[in-house]
Amino acid sequence: MKILAIETSCDDTCAAVLDNDRVLSSVVSTQVEFHKKFGGVVPGIARDKHKEFIDPCIEKALKQAKVTMEKIDYIAVTYGPGLAIALEVGLKKAQALSLEYKKKLIPVNHLEGHALSPFLKDKNGKLYSKVKLNFPFISMIISGGHTELVLVSDFGKYELIGQTLDDAAGEAFDKVARLLKLGYPGGPLISKVAETGDRNKYLLPKPMLKSADFNFSFSGVKTACLVALRKIYAEKNINSNEKLILTQNDPGYYDSKDMVFTKKEIADFAASFEKTMVDILVTKLLAATKKYGVKYVSIGGGVCANNYLRKTMREAFSKKGVIVSIPDKRFCTDNAGMIGIVGYYKGLRKEFSKDPSKVERDPILNFKSG
Amino acid sequence: MKIIKLKNNSSKAINEAILVLQKGGIIVYPTETCYGLGVDPTNQAAVNKLISYKTFRNDKPISIAVSDKKMAEKYVTLNNTAKNLYKEYLPGPFTIISKSKGKVALGVESNIKTQGVRIPKYGFVTNLLKKFGKPITATSANISYKKTPYSVEDIFANTSQKQKDLIDLIIDAGVLPKNDPSTVIDTTLDDVNVLRQGDIILHHKHKVVTRSEEETRVFGEKLAINLINKKLDKPIIVALQGELGTGKTQLCKGLAKSLGIKQEVVSPTFVICREYIVKNDFNKFFHMDIYKLIEPEELWEVGFKEMLSDRNLIVIEWAEKASKIIKDLGETVFVVWINMYHKSENERIIEYGEY
Repeated sequence: MKILAIETSCDDTCAAVLDNDRVLSSVVSTQVEFHKKFGGVVPGIARDKHKEFIDPCIEKALKQAKVTMEKIDYIAVTYGPGLAIALEVGLKKAQALSLEYKKKLIPVNHLEGHALSPFLKDKNGKLYSKVKLNFPFISMIISGGHTELVLVSDFGKYELIGQTLDDAAGEAFDKVARLLKLGYPGGPLISKVAETGDRNKYLLPKPMLKSADFNFSFSGVKTACLVALRKIYAEKNINSNEKLILTQNDPGYYDSKDMVFTKKEIADFAASFEKTMVDILVTKLLAATKKYGVKYVSIGGGVCANNYLRKTMREAFSKKGVIVSIPDKRFCTDNAGMIGIVGYYKGLRKEFSKDPSKVERDPILNFKSG
Repeated sequence: MKIIKLKNNSSKAINEAILVLQKGGIIVYPTETCYGLGVDPTNQAAVNKLISYKTFRNDKPISIAVSDKKMAEKYVTLNNTAKNLYKEYLPGPFTIISKSKGKVALGVESNIKTQGVRIPKYGFVTNLLKKFGKPITATSANISYKKTPYSVEDIFANTSQKQKDLIDLIIDAGVLPKNDPSTVIDTTLDDVNVLRQGDIILHHKHKVVTRSEEETRVFGEKLAINLINKKLDKPIIVALQGELGTGKTQLCKGLAKSLGIKQEVVSPTFVICREYIVKNDFNKFFHMDIYKLIEPEELWEVGFKEMLSDRNLIVIEWAEKASKIIKDLGETVFVVWINMYHKSENERIIEYGEY
């Protein structure tokens, strides 16, 4: 079964060709661009970039896979969740190709892609993740827009067991980077500067760590960061122990946008924050494996590219005898390979869209809770 | 095309490079990340030549390399975020995006008037820039979509003779260490124009203090009931201002609760807008975070027009970014402006009023 997969849910334009569960090619526009996200965060621009890259991406994916459009059996495409006007570009392209070449269309949930990415194989049939997962397992999807814990009991059988109640994990990285004046996107930069920092320098709270459910709240971590940074800044700039947080019109008030920090403060803060985030994620995931009695876990989403998280996860889970599958970095961030593998398993179950022209984007699509 | 080996030959290489740059030619030069392509970014003919070499698609912008912050400030406006990044992280493998001053040739800055700037941490380049007294372009020496070049062989592996002929001079420093391309950081999103007092005059201005997240939520619930009771036949906008961590999302959770929305109301930052169906008093509840919009007009790009229909409630976080658009809607909408401040770790001041 040959599948052409298309993914445009955020700011990466992606196309891939699979032969069953084997990736023949996987192209991401940002890989081939020197300047990664040059302004690509703005919705209108994200859409324009997708429109610009979608054809060369698909062309390149087909060429690398040495497959022509005629030989493709199914077209798999992300229809949600994501940026509405970005999703639209990929979906319209897939619909047009489906019509032109008379191919069946398989609409794919982006999150299901992350959940099944541990099953991706290279063209020789070797698992990219090197670890064979067995059902049931728990998939933790963490990215700029997502924080989801999903119980996967079989292909196509998912139950949402936990999610964020406010900010996504990657969003917390971006927002704390914003507080540290690191620009956008700040997540990757936080990890970079954290490497040299002292992870125990600043103690930050871990909201909901002991709650009975598996939900997260990262907005609280962000607010705690702001409060801590205010104190650090005020201690440097105010001699007396006067009240640190006042309203805008009071003297001595620092709007967070006016506070700047030294390289050392940034490194220590980033390291402490990163440790706090990773502790929360690992603790919750461990608790979930215990409650559901599963022996396997996997992670997916952009935040999984974080080296400190990968290392901490490996150590924490091997101690507990839980097998953890951490995908190759290029299948952590958005890619079309993972959309293709969902397409493959849906193809096996004959789950096609009856009328491809009627498929609509769903920006806030999610799994059902149990 | 001429190739100069850099080793023990730095001053000659610099002089030759400057001659080429002054004549509008293209040089290939080493940096701490990879080989770059340099032309004078203020020379239109040179930039056009560079674009034809790179086979750029459409209007992909080109970064520039400068010797120091002072040179950067001739070409871009540095805000606080940028200034701090320059101070702490440059020179180094970072490209910092700022608002452009429009002093470069067409095709260099982005179509939204931003400019990427680098200060390479590579002695030869610093000396070259100082002596040249102007920036040079800092794009990698590969053709668009091809692999990052770490040696002269890498550059030529994917280049046609016609393209090779466009290069005037190569400064060859051998095989460079395989460092990642520079990290691109956009600082322009931090240019939020906070409304000054007097910009917007609020009627029936109120001020409350909440002492916990729970109290902020309850404030949201009461506000929603208040709005429901007005029974207005036009769209309602709740324009929220307040920095990170002031409880904007908590307030929205409260609003949603009074509207009878059962779904968890989570941050809309990533998708810009989240839409919820309301059963009784309204049709739809839209929850937007427009922090990532650079120009207010982009509000229309995310479907704002469709949202502006009767019996819809639209909450906009970082509303100051689109204050003009909201003001221009005039009497066609009912607007409540809300400013949120920190008073202490748990206390928040909420000022609100109708516009």
